[in-house]
Amino acid sequence: MAWLNSLSLQQFSFEDILYVVGPSIIVIVLILNIISLLKDRRINKLRRSLEELQKTYEALDNQAKLIIKTDLELHKTQSELDKKISSLYTLQKISHTLSTTLDENEIFQKISEEHITELGFDKALVFLVGPTQTTYSPGTTAIKLRIGYNEKDIEAAFSQEYIKDIFEQAVKKGATLSSIDTKINPKHLNAILKSSKIQSFICAPITTKGAIVGILFVASESSYSPITTGDKEIVSILATQIGQSLENAQLFEETWRSHQELENKVTQRTRELSAALEEVKAVTKRKSEFVSAVSHELRTPLTSIKGYASLLSTGKLGELPQPVKERLEKINKHTDSLSQLINNMLDISRIESGRVEMKIEDIDLRKLLETVFDLLAPQFKEKQINFSQEVAKDISTLPADINQLQRIFINLLSNSLKFTPPDGKIAVRAKKTDGAVQIDVEDTGVGIAEKNLDKIFGEFYREDNEINQSVKGTGLGLSLVKYIVEAHKGKIWLTSKLNKGTTFSFTLPISKA
Amino acid sequence: MNPTTYIGTGFSAHKNPFEAAKEASSRAKRQIRAKTPNLAIVFSTTHFSQHSLLEGVYFVFGDNTNVIGCSGYGVIDNSGVHKYGVVVMAIYSTKIKSGFGCIKEINADNTRWAGEKFARASLKNLGSTTREIALSFCDGLLEKNSELLSGVKDVLGRSFPIIGCSSADSLLFSKTYQYFNKEVLNKSIVGTILSGEGSFGYGLKHGWQPLGRPRRVTYSEGNIIKRIEENPAIEIYKDYFKKNTEEIKDLLNQISILYPLGIYLSEEEEYLLRNVIKIDNDGGLICQGDVPQGSQIRIMMGTKESALEAAKLAAQEAKYKFNDTAILGAIIFESVSRIKLFGYRINEEVETVKNILGETVPFIGVCTFGEQAPLKSLEYRGESHFHNETIAVLTIGERHGLA
Repeated sequence: MAWLNSLSLQQFSFEDILYVVGPSIIVIVLILNIISLLKDRRINKLRRSLEELQKTYEALDNQAKLIIKTDLELHKTQSELDKKISSLYTLQKISHTLSTTLDENEIFQKISEEHITELGFDKALVFLVGPTQTTYSPGTTAIKLRIGYNEKDIEAAFSQEYIKDIFEQAVKKGATLSSIDTKINPKHLNAILKSSKIQSFICAPITTKGAIVGILFVASESSYSPITTGDKEIVSILATQIGQSLENAQLFEETWRSHQELENKVTQRTRELSAALEEVKAVTKRKSEFVSAVSHELRTPLTSIKGYASLLSTGKLGELPQPVKERLEKINKHTDSLSQLINNMLDISRIESGRVEMKIEDIDLRKLLETVFDLLAPQFKEKQINFSQEVAKDISTLPADINQLQRIFINLLSNSLKFTPPDGKIAVRAKKTDGAVQIDVEDTGVGIAEKNLDKIFGEFYREDNEINQSVKGTGLGLSLVKYIVEAHKGKIWLTSKLNKGTTFSFTLPISKA
Repeated sequence: MNPTTYIGTGFSAHKNPFEAAKEASSRAKRQIRAKTPNLAIVFSTTHFSQHSLLEGVYFVFGDNTNVIGCSGYGVIDNSGVHKYGVVVMAIYSTKIKSGFGCIKEINADNTRWAGEKFARASLKNLGSTTREIALSFCDGLLEKNSELLSGVKDVLGRSFPIIGCSSADSLLFSKTYQYFNKEVLNKSIVGTILSGEGSFGYGLKHGWQPLGRPRRVTYSEGNIIKRIEENPAIEIYKDYFKKNTEEIKDLLNQISILYPLGIYLSEEEEYLLRNVIKIDNDGGLICQGDVPQGSQIRIMMGTKESALEAAKLAAQEAKYKFNDTAILGAIIFESVSRIKLFGYRINEEVETVKNILGETVPFIGVCTFGEQAPLKSLEYRGESHFHNETIAVLTIGERHGLA
């Protein structure tokens, strides 16, 4: 420390100091220079890096601009495609809805605000046009659809000449027009958009059977939903769809009307026929009553005649000469025929008027046929006609009125006997069919001409042939058979061939009900 | 354990507004075992007569139900997005309490005050229970949406979760509606603070990606970006789109939706988006929400795929809280921009949310002009912000172990 104190600056000259410090200063300056150089290099490096970074940023930014440009175009295409897809989806919905109605007014009620919104529009209007009216006319135009408009709005928006002109052009040219069409005068377009308070619109003609019948006008109020050519196509399709639905409705209306007319005619005819039928029924009833009354009145004196004739024939009132006996015999025979005729007529009228009740019971068919054959055996024998009966094994009994069934067989067999030449054959066959027993009476007789087949069951009908000319008959036997079969709820028909034979077939239900 | 909260939803596209609301409300009521709901949330498109709509809601629920809601560009339910119709959510709960607020006649001068007043009114009606979340619906045509939200935050606190939306119309930007009980309002904020033993989850995402170099906002006034890097703000769009001012003005609707501005937020996964709604005379960009001076912004671009992924993430965030308990219902706030971006594929987004939340969770939603939801990062401490172009999902349930 003492050494330090003894040291004084005054003891050193400037040169001494310089000699001692100089090299240090030089070293320091050198170091500083080196540092400065290094720093400069670093700064330069940093500057270069910054420049590079800025360049990268600029490049990035330029790339971003490029990306945005491409993306904007891509987005435009994509959004148009998106809009088209969702519009088509909505169109399909509308189409489905419209297909559920064939009522003209309902078609427009089915198009809702929801549909129009989904199509990307805020307002819609449909009005009808015709040969004399080609545009909107306040007070006279028939508005069919109104969405987003009240009545006052419509008049204010569509009374303007420019928009009326657009409607007229659409009708005359049959073309879809819109606010993006370059052909529309820009001044007129602005006036339309301003007065209607809309940003864009599309106007499409509605066509049915080739004629323009209306206008579909849709509009957007928002500048955020600009219309495109795709929208024009969609609206045009919608207008076509409406036209198609209207056409279908008109077609249906026409068909329905002609159907209605036809139905009215059928009703009218049915009514007339019913009246005629009632009249026929009344006449038939009157006829039955008349026949019944007359028959009763005839039967009493006829019984007396037959009684007196029989009495005279017995000779109790004195022996009668042979010619008188012969005449009496004839009286007797004719009285029997007349009596038979009256009985048949009475039976027919009774059955016809429902006054005869069928007493249904189970009948042994085989036994019944034997009884009938016994009754007619003399005639069979006389004409040497072979009789056979064939009743199916599964038929044991048959529900029917035994007396009436017997009459059926007597009449049919008598008829066959009458028209079958000697040595012929008559067969009765019975078999089961659907819920019934079918009985066929077949003969090898003269047969019936085909043209007369449907007359054969008519009352008093007798076919014009030799046998009928020689053998007398009432013409009521087969009618009576038909009435009896039908009273049993059965059916009767015949098949016949001239000179070969005839088969009468009838069915009787198996069930008693 | 049976829940004591029931949530039902209903949708109708009936032509008649009264019938539409009646139909949607009846469907919702059937799902809550025909109980009278404490709260009904109604979203509708603007096609209907709004008064008749509320009459239809009250016809079904009666006078003891509080109704809040708003109009939108579209409405959402489990079946998808509908551009025409009404959706109703009926909430019956003995556990969730609500305090309602409604402030009318909001203008540019009283916006922040209106937000504060709305929050105070809601708190006053709520009483002294623990508040959980605020649900608010304001007019989407208000100029200062961010300021309105700031007013609410001034009272409820920066970190209190506020979720909701700005009402919309059918892109006419002419009139949107807010519903408060039987009143149909404009220029208003309506909503509720929910409290009690409910459990609420939320998630918000957009999926838009930054593009190009970042730029600094050198001068801004609230929601108006005046200058970017000392140039008039419009230059950013002119530069990117190679168009002049008039052309940009014509294309603004489209540009703003597809390429919004994104504000960089440190620690946040996504940028905070801003739609530009107008351009002022000085070339300033008027946005729907505030853009702070000095913030870093970039042009943003969305793709369907990234937006779909964002919807998935938002739903997952909203579901996160409900690992052990059931989500009883959900509300979706969907920006109209997303509807435009997705086009006909919009229902894919709803399907994505449905798949995450669960097929059986009933939900309703509305297509909005703006969304309000909290940010998640620590730096922002869960502070709620006004957003554009996002999907926000709110899930509602009961706390685990309660009932």
